[in-house]
Amino acid sequence: MPDPRHFTTRRGFIAGLGFGAVSLYGAWAAYGAAPLPFGHTPSAARASEPVPQVHDHGGSAAGSHDGHPAAATAESFRLDHEAFLRTYGQPDGSVDPHAASHAGGHSHGTANGSHADGGHGNHIAAAEPVTVYLMAQRFAYSPDLLRLKAGQAYRFRMMADDITHGASIQLGMASRIVRLRPNIVSEQTVTFTKPGEYLVYCTVYCGQAHDAMQGRIVVV
Amino acid sequence: MDIIPQDAPVAAAPGRTAHGLTVRIRTLPRPDKALLNLLFGAALLALVLGLAGGLLTALARAGALRFYSDDAYRLLTLHGVSVFFYWLYLIQAALLLALAAAENGRGLALRPAAWAGAALMLTGFAVSEWISATGTPLLYDGSPELAVDDPRSVGVFALGYLLLAAGLAASAASGIATLLQPRRRGETEEFGAVGFALFAWAGFLIVSAIAATNAFLPGLLWALGAGPFPADHGTEWHILFHNLHYLPLMATVLVWYVLTEHLTGVTSIHGARLSKIVFAAYLVFVPPTSLYHMFLEPTLSDGVRVVGSLLSLFVSVPTLAAFAIIVSSLEASARAHGATGFLGWMRGLPWSNPAMANMGWAVVNMMAGLTFAFVLIQGDLAPMLSDTFFVPGYFHLFAVGVLTQTFLAALMVMLPALNGGPLWRPALLARMPALVTAGLFLFAAAGIAAGTMGVPRRVFDIGYGGLAPAAWPVLMALVGIGASLFAAALSVSVYGVVRTLLSGRKAPATDLTAVAWRVEPSRIGTAPAWTGPVSIAALVAAMYVFTIAAFQLIQSLPIAAIGGGHGH
Repeated sequence: MPDPRHFTTRRGFIAGLGFGAVSLYGAWAAYGAAPLPFGHTPSAARASEPVPQVHDHGGSAAGSHDGHPAAATAESFRLDHEAFLRTYGQPDGSVDPHAASHAGGHSHGTANGSHADGGHGNHIAAAEPVTVYLMAQRFAYSPDLLRLKAGQAYRFRMMADDITHGASIQLGMASRIVRLRPNIVSEQTVTFTKPGEYLVYCTVYCGQAHDAMQGRIVVV
Repeated sequence: MDIIPQDAPVAAAPGRTAHGLTVRIRTLPRPDKALLNLLFGAALLALVLGLAGGLLTALARAGALRFYSDDAYRLLTLHGVSVFFYWLYLIQAALLLALAAAENGRGLALRPAAWAGAALMLTGFAVSEWISATGTPLLYDGSPELAVDDPRSVGVFALGYLLLAAGLAASAASGIATLLQPRRRGETEEFGAVGFALFAWAGFLIVSAIAATNAFLPGLLWALGAGPFPADHGTEWHILFHNLHYLPLMATVLVWYVLTEHLTGVTSIHGARLSKIVFAAYLVFVPPTSLYHMFLEPTLSDGVRVVGSLLSLFVSVPTLAAFAIIVSSLEASARAHGATGFLGWMRGLPWSNPAMANMGWAVVNMMAGLTFAFVLIQGDLAPMLSDTFFVPGYFHLFAVGVLTQTFLAALMVMLPALNGGPLWRPALLARMPALVTAGLFLFAAAGIAAGTMGVPRRVFDIGYGGLAPAAWPVLMALVGIGASLFAAALSVSVYGVVRTLLSGRKAPATDLTAVAWRVEPSRIGTAPAWTGPVSIAALVAAMYVFTIAAFQLIQSLPIAAIGGGHGH
């Protein structure tokens, strides 16, 4: 005997409604954020897709870092970070990886290979990411003022020195956040497409002066 | 007129039938009533403390109040600890025991365990509140790394949650024993839908207690010098945190089942088996969906991030299925009683009953909350939204709008039955959920906008020396106004419930409005029930709109970023 009920009051239909939100997959796939059955994976798509407003990334996702052996440690990060500050520190306290080296280029034998910018200053090709270092610690960033160039790719190497911090770059209508765990080096290749002065601030509560933990990136 | 005809059977309160919820609660043994009153009272105290802490926090963030930094974060800690742990767990334990005892019909089994559980939880409550108010502010996750030089704060904070966990486990054990008692006596052969859901819920509470122990025992041992520093606290916390999200949601859906029957007489027209499958589905769908809390973790690979996002799509399956079961059962039953019109059948629901009003507006809040929850679960959007005010912006729709209003609805039904007095000013209480929702929507809209612009979720002074966008303080002021509005309206509801709890038998309980729509499943006709499918279609459409807007926004930023994971 056929079920006299309207299909909207049948069990199968009701159970199926529970899966309604799964259909959001379509929007994700359209933006390359979910894998398609016969296509490439999102990570593959990300590596190959043209990035809006960027001429050339040349960067790398985490895990494949040109010229960096995979055994760098928090300690080597600290050494590299100190060398970075020493080499590119400016009299006004800022750090400019494009400035002529104060210390005559990297003098230490870096554990994680050669820096693309090591001692080359402004002669770097735009396609080559410039390595910059950012250390987060209670309650400041080091450096707290970075001078960068629009259109240039930067390989940000970041780490928290003591406890967990965040680093969010305020970009006008929204921000871009990374979470930094102590002694874990995070990398992100970043290209600023517009000049400006960008606020960097901590997004993970880190103690009494958390509200004051901030820095700046000046992009010309 | 598009409503149920005036001659339809109305005002026969189903809960007052011989087997109804309120009758069963009224006839509980005196010791059980005393225990339930104690737990309900403690839960309401936690809610009041959390509400006060939350309001002060919101006003401070809006710039209307100023606190020293440590005091501000202590307030935030008190708010989170009180609401997310003690209100939500105490009320769950109390509701579990009350509903299990009512289901049994003979009161609680393993009563000493239930009392011991209450004693442990209340001790934990006192310990947690004290250390939150006086120790190093650790926020509600009690991260030990914030107090490396203050092991006492870490240890005492962990002790509070461990006592809560132990009490939860004992309470749940009593609940399980109570639910099994009729079967052991041979009075019944299998659980009904509600009994099964209560059994599963009790099991989940024990899992939650284990997860809490896993997260906080290392901190206590470290503070006592008996263990290493709990460096993995973050990961253990995420497991507990995910549980903390979805367990109260399952409880909410269960309460909707119970209250729907109490207020309208309607049970599922799809049979108990489908309801049991849906409640069991929480066990299937919730645990694998926890990765989205960790999208910003630097150790999470891209592959795991993508898989985590995909799994998260399933997180709403049991909740939406349960919603569809309840709404289709209500609509079909109403139509069997002559209701007409596309949405007109809803006007026949007993909206003047404050329990119905709270439950109805809870559903509205759930739809809004789900919309934005599904923006957040996309891994590619996490770098823009996680750790921002977007998160509290949307989850207050759940925590206050859905969970708290639903649990208050349950109290509005149970407390008069428990103590024999009337519900305090039901006409006034029935108006509050709309006001709560209005305040919440303002809070959420401004908070979500602020979070999308990057306002961090745990910062009191968002000026950043004049470098922050000018819109940030304006949006946070709106957050403060919204918080004030919903806190005021919610306070009226809480006051009404507390007055009812304390009223004793000064006046006889009166019947509140209810309807009797129950029909046998075989009498469900060919009339369609479109409200459920249309609601879910609207929800998905809203999810699409806001997800696409978020993707467009992140792609329009003057930055291109690749990676963000573990460097080496």
